[in-house]
Amino acid sequence: MMCAWKELLSILPPRLRREVDSLGKESAQELRLRINAPPELVLGGKEIWLRENVTEEDLNFIINTASRYSPWAAATMAQGYLTAPGGHRIGLCGEAICRNGCFEGIRQARSLCIRIARDFQGIGKDAAALKGSILILGAPGWGKTTLLRDLVRQLAQKETVSVVDERGELFPEGVARGKRMDVLTGCPKPAGIDMTLRTMGPSCIALDEITAEGDCQALVQAANCGVRLVATAHAASERDFRCRSVYRVLVENRIFDGLVLLHKDKSYHVERMTL
Amino acid sequence: MNCKWIGAALIIAGCGGFGFSIAAGCRREERLLRQLIQSLQYMQWELQYRLTPLPELCRQTGKTASGVVRDIFLGLARELDWQASPDVSSCMSAALKRNQELPRNIRRIFQQLGRCLGRFDLQGQLLGLEAVQSACQGELAALNKNRDVRLRSYQTLGLCAGVALAILFA
Repeated sequence: MMCAWKELLSILPPRLRREVDSLGKESAQELRLRINAPPELVLGGKEIWLRENVTEEDLNFIINTASRYSPWAAATMAQGYLTAPGGHRIGLCGEAICRNGCFEGIRQARSLCIRIARDFQGIGKDAAALKGSILILGAPGWGKTTLLRDLVRQLAQKETVSVVDERGELFPEGVARGKRMDVLTGCPKPAGIDMTLRTMGPSCIALDEITAEGDCQALVQAANCGVRLVATAHAASERDFRCRSVYRVLVENRIFDGLVLLHKDKSYHVERMTL
Repeated sequence: MNCKWIGAALIIAGCGGFGFSIAAGCRREERLLRQLIQSLQYMQWELQYRLTPLPELCRQTGKTASGVVRDIFLGLARELDWQASPDVSSCMSAALKRNQELPRNIRRIFQQLGRCLGRFDLQGQLLGLEAVQSACQGELAALNKNRDVRLRSYQTLGLCAGVALAILFA
């Protein structure tokens, strides 16, 4: 298992580093920080409360160091999160800036949720044996991104894979990539799929978290061009996936051939898509 | 007798030099303000069109400037790279500490710049840069008011004071 632990520690305020390092190096999943409350470290599903209360300065420090003092330059800031070096995702909550009814960013953060990115090399071997397009299903925190990362790496040993990594979480600097892998970061998924399809000539396109109808439409278009797809979606089972209206286009067009179903303990099993 | 003449000459030169140095200080301040305005304009363009991250932006801005302005921007870029301070304002204070010879009003403008660069949203940041730029323009306008007359007065007053002292002590 690999984790950009040093990168994670470097974005934390110095007074928190030692405690987080001693407690969480092996199994930390999340670190939640709220102003005037002690930090909450989630380790293997259990919560541990650290000693010292979080201050506004601590949150500013994390946001500034994670974004190199340029949070406004991060394309994802308008969606309420930042991707820190090492691929760790920092969700922000607090006083929002809205213009014409649209969320534009956070004026003052009141709480942060740092989701720690981990890389388990070799876990995607079984899933990589599936033929055709693959969909990974699981609830939040079950390891979809971690599995996708290794699955894509396995596939990229054999075929040309274009990764549309909107958040820059899948393959940040320092994470091993496959031989035939091209990564597009910071671009919205529909535009990214279209762009890589036209410019990179991939035999497979991979993306994390299908969340909108626009993503589904772009996937259908790519599938019609004969490209293999590998993606993840929020759903606890195939039935749950079929029930969600946002994925209807994918189900109707029978885009995916193989399903990888994740379990809460982060294990998975492989199925053929029915219907 | 000779000693008296040498003494008088030294008094005149000293007072005259003092007057000239005040005038030179004013010219230097003006030059720094003009440089700073240029740097701020550069930063505005970079932020608006390229969203350059701050450490790079400060490094680039430093390279386009010269003298103290260059030193301060490069110092700020270094501070930002170290990631030891919670916000840009503290980084700016650390960079200013290393440049003590900066005039007080220009130091105040740099501190204002540090505060505006620490904002989380781009729009606020751009507005902040504009505010700093107008502060510079204000200082520059104040300096330019009767500039020539004032500078000549400093020099003449210095020389006259020297002559007066020389006559008194002769």
